[in-house]
Amino acid sequence: MCASVKYNIRGPALIPRMKTKHRFYYVTLFSIVLLGLIATGVFQFWPHSIESSGDGGVEKRSIKEVPVVRLPAASPIPERGDLSCRMHTCFDVYRCGFNPKNKIKVYIYPLKKYVDDAGVPVSSTISREYNELLAAISDSDYYTDDISRACLFVPSIDVLNQSPLRIKETAQALAQLSRWDRGTNHLLFNMLPGGPPDYNTALDVPRDRALLAGGGFSTWTYRQGYDVSIPVFSPLSTEVALPEKAPGPRRYFLLSSQMAIHPEYREDLEALQAKHRESVLVLDKCTNLSEGVLSVRKRCHQHQVFDYPQVLQEATFCVVLRGARLGQAVLSDVLQAGCVPVVIADSYILPFSEVLDWKRASVVVPEEKMSDMYSILQNIPQRQIEEMQRQICFSSNLQEKRTFDVATGIIFGIARWFWEAYFQSIKAIALATLQIINDRIYPYAAISYEEWNDPPTVKWTSVSNPLFLPLIPPQSQGFTAIVLTYDRVESLFRVITEVSKVPSLSKLLVVWNNQNKNPPEESLWPKIRVPLKVVRTAENKLSNRFFPYDEIETEAVLAIDDDIIMLTSDELQFGYEVWREFPDRLVGYPGRLHLWDHEMNKWKYESEWTNEVSMVLTGAAFYHKYFNYLYTYKMPGDIKNWVDAHMNCEDIAMNFLVANVTGKAVIKVTPRKKFKCPECTAIDGLSLDQTHMVERSECINKFASVFGTMPLKVVEHRADPVLYKDDFPEKLKSFPNIGSL
Amino acid sequence: MPLWRRKSFWLALSVSWLLLILLGVFPLRLAVPPGPLPGCSQGWPRWLDAAFLQSFSQSETLPKDAPQLSQAPRGSSCTWGACFDTSKCKGNALKIFAHSPAGTTTEAHRRILDSLEGSRYYALSPTEACLHLFLPSQDHTCGPLPPYWNGGRNHLVLSLYPAPCTRLGQAMVAEASPSLDIFRPGFDVALPYLPEAHPLQGGAPGQLQQHSPQPGATLLAVAEEKGRWRITDTHASTCPWGKHCEQDPGLHQTHPGETLPNATFCLIPGHRSAASSLLQALQVLTALRDMLPSKILSLRQQTQFLWTAYFSSVEKVIHTTLEIIQDRIWGTSAHPSLMWNSPPGALLALPTFSTSLKDFPFYHLQQGSSPESSFSALIWVGVSSEPLLKLIQVVAGSRYCAQILILWSSEKPPPDRWPETTVPLTVIEGRRKASDRFFPYGDISTNVILSLDAHSTLSTSEVDFAFVVWQSFPERMVGFLTQNHFWDEARGAWGYSTEMANEFSMVLTTAVFYHRYYHTLFTHSLPKALRTMADDTPTCVDILMNFLVATVTKLPPIKVPYGRQHQEAVPLAAEGPGPVPEPQPLAQDCFSRVAAGFGHMPLVSSRVRLEPVLFKDPVSVQRKKYRSLEKP
Repeated sequence: MCASVKYNIRGPALIPRMKTKHRFYYVTLFSIVLLGLIATGVFQFWPHSIESSGDGGVEKRSIKEVPVVRLPAASPIPERGDLSCRMHTCFDVYRCGFNPKNKIKVYIYPLKKYVDDAGVPVSSTISREYNELLAAISDSDYYTDDISRACLFVPSIDVLNQSPLRIKETAQALAQLSRWDRGTNHLLFNMLPGGPPDYNTALDVPRDRALLAGGGFSTWTYRQGYDVSIPVFSPLSTEVALPEKAPGPRRYFLLSSQMAIHPEYREDLEALQAKHRESVLVLDKCTNLSEGVLSVRKRCHQHQVFDYPQVLQEATFCVVLRGARLGQAVLSDVLQAGCVPVVIADSYILPFSEVLDWKRASVVVPEEKMSDMYSILQNIPQRQIEEMQRQICFSSNLQEKRTFDVATGIIFGIARWFWEAYFQSIKAIALATLQIINDRIYPYAAISYEEWNDPPTVKWTSVSNPLFLPLIPPQSQGFTAIVLTYDRVESLFRVITEVSKVPSLSKLLVVWNNQNKNPPEESLWPKIRVPLKVVRTAENKLSNRFFPYDEIETEAVLAIDDDIIMLTSDELQFGYEVWREFPDRLVGYPGRLHLWDHEMNKWKYESEWTNEVSMVLTGAAFYHKYFNYLYTYKMPGDIKNWVDAHMNCEDIAMNFLVANVTGKAVIKVTPRKKFKCPECTAIDGLSLDQTHMVERSECINKFASVFGTMPLKVVEHRADPVLYKDDFPEKLKSFPNIGSL
Repeated sequence: MPLWRRKSFWLALSVSWLLLILLGVFPLRLAVPPGPLPGCSQGWPRWLDAAFLQSFSQSETLPKDAPQLSQAPRGSSCTWGACFDTSKCKGNALKIFAHSPAGTTTEAHRRILDSLEGSRYYALSPTEACLHLFLPSQDHTCGPLPPYWNGGRNHLVLSLYPAPCTRLGQAMVAEASPSLDIFRPGFDVALPYLPEAHPLQGGAPGQLQQHSPQPGATLLAVAEEKGRWRITDTHASTCPWGKHCEQDPGLHQTHPGETLPNATFCLIPGHRSAASSLLQALQVLTALRDMLPSKILSLRQQTQFLWTAYFSSVEKVIHTTLEIIQDRIWGTSAHPSLMWNSPPGALLALPTFSTSLKDFPFYHLQQGSSPESSFSALIWVGVSSEPLLKLIQVVAGSRYCAQILILWSSEKPPPDRWPETTVPLTVIEGRRKASDRFFPYGDISTNVILSLDAHSTLSTSEVDFAFVVWQSFPERMVGFLTQNHFWDEARGAWGYSTEMANEFSMVLTTAVFYHRYYHTLFTHSLPKALRTMADDTPTCVDILMNFLVATVTKLPPIKVPYGRQHQEAVPLAAEGPGPVPEPQPLAQDCFSRVAAGFGHMPLVSSRVRLEPVLFKDPVSVQRKKYRSLEKP
């Protein structure tokens, strides 16, 4: 139905209208030709693709066919792991070298099957997860197939789980790798370390200097800044999709879902349940499940059966208790369910703790305080409301509840975000591990704390002001005035003369935008007290006004049009003073406003006498020179080209850019004046003025769609000198000459 | 059919025919190259039988419940959980008692003790403390250990300079530049290596005067022996804004001065002789030159923030150390990382107020939240007077007003009846101390406070406008009447003036908008001595609050217009909503004592007043939103 409707709509537009009789023939003819074309094409390609898959067996091979390597019993065994290893002692950074992309190169050894002297395999070849992991690395930007260019080597010997491994032989297999060299720059992945009875917290395979990405480190085995702590992957992640649940109160306050729990700990948990009946749920494995039910996916409390991991979504806090090993796969399930993990595993190094801020996503409770767990958890929001309680007045329950929800809501979100970004797949785990190592080798290009830890929603709405340090630059620096000009020499000279009277002017830069005409001879220019430089541009583009010229030595820039002659020296000097107090903002004279046009359902540009301001014209505005760099190199989308093509709106673009990056409003200085500005030059014809307004409105709508938001901030204030129009002797005022003319 | 359409149709048809013929005659042999594609086959193979691979945990039989319950700390290595007993800290509050130092009390010891006494963590007796401070002697006598030693549990061994005897039992160690081999992350605290002349208090703020590097500043200076610096001769200006530099830099010039050279980066190598080979090998210069301007910009600012927040004085270093330990005790409700790493820093952002960044006045931008849209008026009543009723009406008239709180500090009992208002009115009984005004009352239900005096005379327009301005500057104080500070040469001390002037650095807190957080900060972070002084000298609170907010913001307050009609209404007090005479000697004294107490002058002057956009503009009054502000 749908398709036919579509055809009817689009048909007439596609086929030229002609007489119906002819039309039929034409269409048939065309169809035949088209069919022929398609058929030929298919025949061209068909046989080749069969051929290529025939002899290109490298792509599709069977694991059973991998080469076999025999390990002699006497082949060397690496030293045990060196606990004192650090990046600067055991890692050869010179192998990584300097590379413009700041990315390490990772090589993966080809898959081999290792057998001992007797021909008995050392281990099963490769697990599903390790295969996925290597494939993920191979598909990433880190991968190189050139062993001589690699800085990090990943063996294809699967040590994710230590249990099925023959320790000595696995170590021998590692030692015979072509670039082993005591394990330098080799990376091993292990999620289940140790074995009975005492379960070491790191892989027992002797590995010398090799880096270990391990899933159960304790403070005793973890080499800070060298090893990488990774999660124990939970295969359930791929099997069960848990939809994200909105933060808010959940049925159970605390839930324990693990099956293998030490009897003493289980006693503690059950005591908690006995005490807080409704809010605590302690689950165990089900004893009397019918045949065919996956026992991994069920949990029981007495005779009640619960679906796992779905039940985790019913709780606010979920216990992640260490078992024989410190790292537990349940952590991953808990995070996926958006339940806040309560980690009870003394000395456990949480996954990716080098970069992830676990305080934001979990609660760590010492093992000996397990019985106090409930009150510890209940106290979490307590401290925030403590102050309200300490006061003389009562604090209502409502307030208490609100604070609680806000606080836990934040943790919920982060827990789930951690899972999505770093836990949910083997690929995510592999790439996070490589990123951490990459960050160590190229620390100056490292990913920031925020990028690691903030969920995308926060990243979207938050603003990180590039000029975040509260700082009032010294007046002595002065400012550089940049005059954009085309051929209005007389007016330009007047502007130069006027601006040169401003005490804090330190340099004047004329951007000569006319390629067909040379600027006047040097002798003709006004003689002023500061250096005057003329820059000639290659093309008559409006963006030239915002280019970060080397000649700009001061931080403050005054952009001024070549016809702005009505600003007094006091006004300009005051503008500079205001900029010093607000160096991260656009500080300008004529102010403008954007409005939402409800009739047209779009933004509208406004230049009338309004009580509000959201933009300043850059025909006369102070700003930090860093914004020139941003305008020239970091302007989003095609805005720069749009401005140059339309020869308009460069000022609106600058207003958008600054507001978007700083999150702050402009500052309009001094009272309104009749300005010679784009809007005002068109006094002769009202229609011209209107076209101009329409164009400016269009710019606002265009830019808002490119930025994906409306960054401009509306304010109701402007800046004047402290004593402006006050009853005070004029001669004692710092800036008496304001608003006159 | 129009001619052009027919033409184009035929054209399309013939092109298709031609293509068909061409394809038939010359088969596209190049379409798929024979054999495997170069590049594709070299990656990790996609196994035909990948689906049959087993999961890594499949072969794992669930380990039977065999965890060892106790994992005794190995050797002398301590962790926070193992070697610190948080249960000793009542209410999770860190209280530290300082035992007299081992050996002779040195100047360094005295400085530590002085800065400790000023902190909110100071305990007067060892019994109320949960952390005991032990200052080791600089010589090799390691004893005697203080009483309550208990194997070093809950002890902090603090040494500003390397001392021979710091690793004692289970005690935490805070020392300068510890080596990686003995440092216990999450337990010990690494201190900066301070020069001996480091100021005890306040300290000079960072010397950075501009956000971005000065063009022409040296890119890199390398520290050499005897305080000399070697600088690169490539100037940053030759590599402007992300362009690639052609010139190969070398290390040539030697900077003879003792002071830091004016360079964008400074390299202080651990092994100084290795500096130059290190530079070449790691291609440090290339990496630095290729660094994006945005990165340099943020690094520069961050150095300054860190310096000012945590390093500039001995006191700050000690307080930072204690704050780190307090954070460990708090656990989940410690400072979020962002508080430590963005201005004003963890010493000035108290997590006892909230651990949600949105609740603080200075993190709105980072959090993508906007300040609240209503305020609470807090009216301080010293002596009951007539204008109070009028003031209540004026304030309640503002559409942004959410509630009115009367802080009754008069000897007389408060009246039983209050005027009918559209917003809730609450009366709070004060303790008749001047600092009551800045107490974090639980009744305050909004984040914004309009602090007023019973004498204050304002118009609703003024209140409305000032509030709207505050929304743009939520971390600052927005006030009507201002004062200015100056260095009094004659007295050799800081002084202040209430005269009308071109500049101001303080606003009167008898009519001012600010964030509720400053009440908490005032009450819980100011040293006791300063707060007691404020209680005794009423005019002092005002000064103290201005100092405090300036310390946080490093910026001046905001001034908004104040109608002349009020100034005439109170003839003698041309300056204020309340009668504010020229500062009395007592107040001047308070000012210099507060300045001394802060250890530096945090106040910053401004020459700007923010006014309604059309303020006194030659345009019809009908167009203006805040008309009454302009009444002559």
